[in-house]
Amino acid sequence: MSSDERFLRQIPLIGEEGQEKLKKARILIAGAGGLGSAIATYLAAAGVGYIRIVDVDIVENSNLNRQILYHEPDIGACKVEAAEKTIRALSHDVEVDAICRHIDEKTVRDLVRGTDLIIDGMDNFAARYILNSASLDEKIPFIHGAVNGFYGQVTVILPGITPCLRCIVPTPPTWERNPIIGVTCGVIGCIEATEAFKYLTGTGEILKNRLLLWDGLRGEAESLQIMRYPDCIDCGSSAIEQDVRRFRV
Amino acid sequence: MNVTVKSFATFREVMDRQLTLDIPEGSTIRTLLAELNGRYNGLNELMFATMDTLKDFVNILKNGRNIHFLAGLDTPLDDGDLVALFPPVAGG
Repeated sequence: MSSDERFLRQIPLIGEEGQEKLKKARILIAGAGGLGSAIATYLAAAGVGYIRIVDVDIVENSNLNRQILYHEPDIGACKVEAAEKTIRALSHDVEVDAICRHIDEKTVRDLVRGTDLIIDGMDNFAARYILNSASLDEKIPFIHGAVNGFYGQVTVILPGITPCLRCIVPTPPTWERNPIIGVTCGVIGCIEATEAFKYLTGTGEILKNRLLLWDGLRGEAESLQIMRYPDCIDCGSSAIEQDVRRFRV
Repeated sequence: MNVTVKSFATFREVMDRQLTLDIPEGSTIRTLLAELNGRYNGLNELMFATMDTLKDFVNILKNGRNIHFLAGLDTPLDDGDLVALFPPVAGG
């Protein structure tokens, strides 16, 4: 099968050069749930060369309303292994690094290192703050996305340039197993994938310094301007001073 | 002075998605919310844990800055400010 032919319809938008950038790109998809499913599917289909996908869960029947990487025979399987199988079936050219591991303060550095972009598919803010800090420390952009019911939000965090996740949401909302419909994961995961596509190919304007809020109940999306907090504990001046000290050592 | 308020997600279930209010000089986020609570049934219960404390999922941005980093409920408002009320979603 010819790879050139596969991308025939998108090359007019990004050029051969853009396609080559996607091929060379190395991304981390943190979480292989509803968001991760849409993100991985579309970025693999677009020709991203290397996808590291991380999740510790196994596939359950109740995942199948939204986690489109998985099918009924996958129930009981490790998510990332099933995800790898689906992604490889979609494109034999993509290198998949499937890692069955918790994302926590001890594991996060190794998981983000060697990638160009971190994409949020997590289901809780505790893990998102850990990814936010790792993104800032390693200077790797972080595309944040989250969903609940018919609602979702997305922003692109560029370390040192845009507000970080902590500037926007300083205290984590209480964790609950929220209701969710599959298409909300699809909408938000696809917006995250669109931002990744633009960032990696240098196309268009990325969703920076803005928080996009999706309202599926009313069929509306709006983006709010967001600003950095100079003394943010994660990205503010005190954090940067620590950073400078660390680089000097 | 005029302040524009935008609401998002579940807040839209009890209030308008956008409105402009004429409020007195010297108003704060606290007095703005009191005005809104007077207009919309159920908003107070949705936003406040106690009389003085917002629930942890309630995020309020004044011109793009979270009031958590400003003066909280006592953050002063100026003519032309945009106040956004949103409950960040957390699932994936």
